[in-house]
Amino acid sequence: MFVLSVIKDTVAVLPANFGLPPEQAITNELNKKYANKVLHDVGLCMSVFDLSEVGEGKVRYGDGCLWYKVIFRLVVFRPFASEVILAKVKSSDEEGIRLTLGFFDDIYVPLVYLPEPSAFDPNERAHFWLMGSEATSSHELLDSPLAERMYIDTGEVVRVRVEADEFYDDEPGPPKVAEGVQQVKTENRRAPYTITV
Amino acid sequence: MEVISQRSALLSNFEVLTLLRELESDHLAKARTALKIKKEEEASGASSTRVHMAPEEVLENLRTIEVEAIQYLAADYQPTSRQTEAGITQLTRNLATYDLTKAEKLQIVNLAPLEPVELYVIVEELEDRFGEQIDDILSMVQASLHKPSSSAPVVENNVQAQVFYTEDDVHYEDDAENWGHDANEIVFDDHGEGAGIEGDLDVEDE
Repeated sequence: MFVLSVIKDTVAVLPANFGLPPEQAITNELNKKYANKVLHDVGLCMSVFDLSEVGEGKVRYGDGCLWYKVIFRLVVFRPFASEVILAKVKSSDEEGIRLTLGFFDDIYVPLVYLPEPSAFDPNERAHFWLMGSEATSSHELLDSPLAERMYIDTGEVVRVRVEADEFYDDEPGPPKVAEGVQQVKTENRRAPYTITV
Repeated sequence: MEVISQRSALLSNFEVLTLLRELESDHLAKARTALKIKKEEEASGASSTRVHMAPEEVLENLRTIEVEAIQYLAADYQPTSRQTEAGITQLTRNLATYDLTKAEKLQIVNLAPLEPVELYVIVEELEDRFGEQIDDILSMVQASLHKPSSSAPVVENNVQAQVFYTEDDVHYEDDAENWGHDANEIVFDDHGEGAGIEGDLDVEDE
């Protein structure tokens, strides 16, 4: 579920932090920059694991910060394809189920990936699975006796296998101006990292 | 900023949980000393250097993900809190004798399957590859799981909260396994025989 990624970056340590040992100051700056953020094609960064190489701190013309070139390892959350994970059901709707891990919410199960004879019950607002049934249409399934149905309720822990994941990079383009008034984009913001199971 | 290696190593849930717990105890210890220093300053009336005001903002994102990830990894339905470093090393050594891919071994460690059905989901073509050995693998996994959360020996700290937590768990585990032990654990007497006899008497009374 978690991997180590090696990243190279340049980090500025403010003079206020010169009192701290440099590894600590650098780790703090790196955590400030990367913790709880999604890196494109890498995954959700959790925290710095350790520093592999740190160059000499150099002072740039114009500010008093010490700039360090750092190579460090980062703990990243990125389940690989066909990995099995445990997750809690966050919500269900007609299109599928959404799962959460506490620290990561964008896990979706589209209808096709639910176990074969299953349907969505609009009264319960939950999907259910009818094991061993040969009914194929959701109409027949909804006629089945309630006692035999296995509901997938909110808050339940489920075991899922990861099928795919997707990164979306939302790059803000140049501000569009129409009739002298600046338009602010208010489209739906897509999650930067979604997992499909 | 350059990503040198996107996936240089795989980490088990246990390792990540240990790392996050260490970080958490560091943060808690720092918060306590900062509070103590503040109190001392107020008491003495002097306002000396304010070196560590900056770290407050650093920690917010890190603390969020740390707390939530610890919550997830230490949940009841996860086996991670019941794993130990020695147990996992032993398990990986044993699993090496079987023909499993790296991913399958990692998943077995992370999910600790105790039922054949769980193993079916992890390992492809289980019947063909390991028809006979399924039970062996399951018993090895069972052996690697121990008491709930024994990360105390790995992490050295003197934070109240952490110590309280692990003490509680050790108590619970002993309760479940061998309750005769319980009385002996609490009474730290150096007279071996005396404690034993007294301990037994206590137990009989109950």
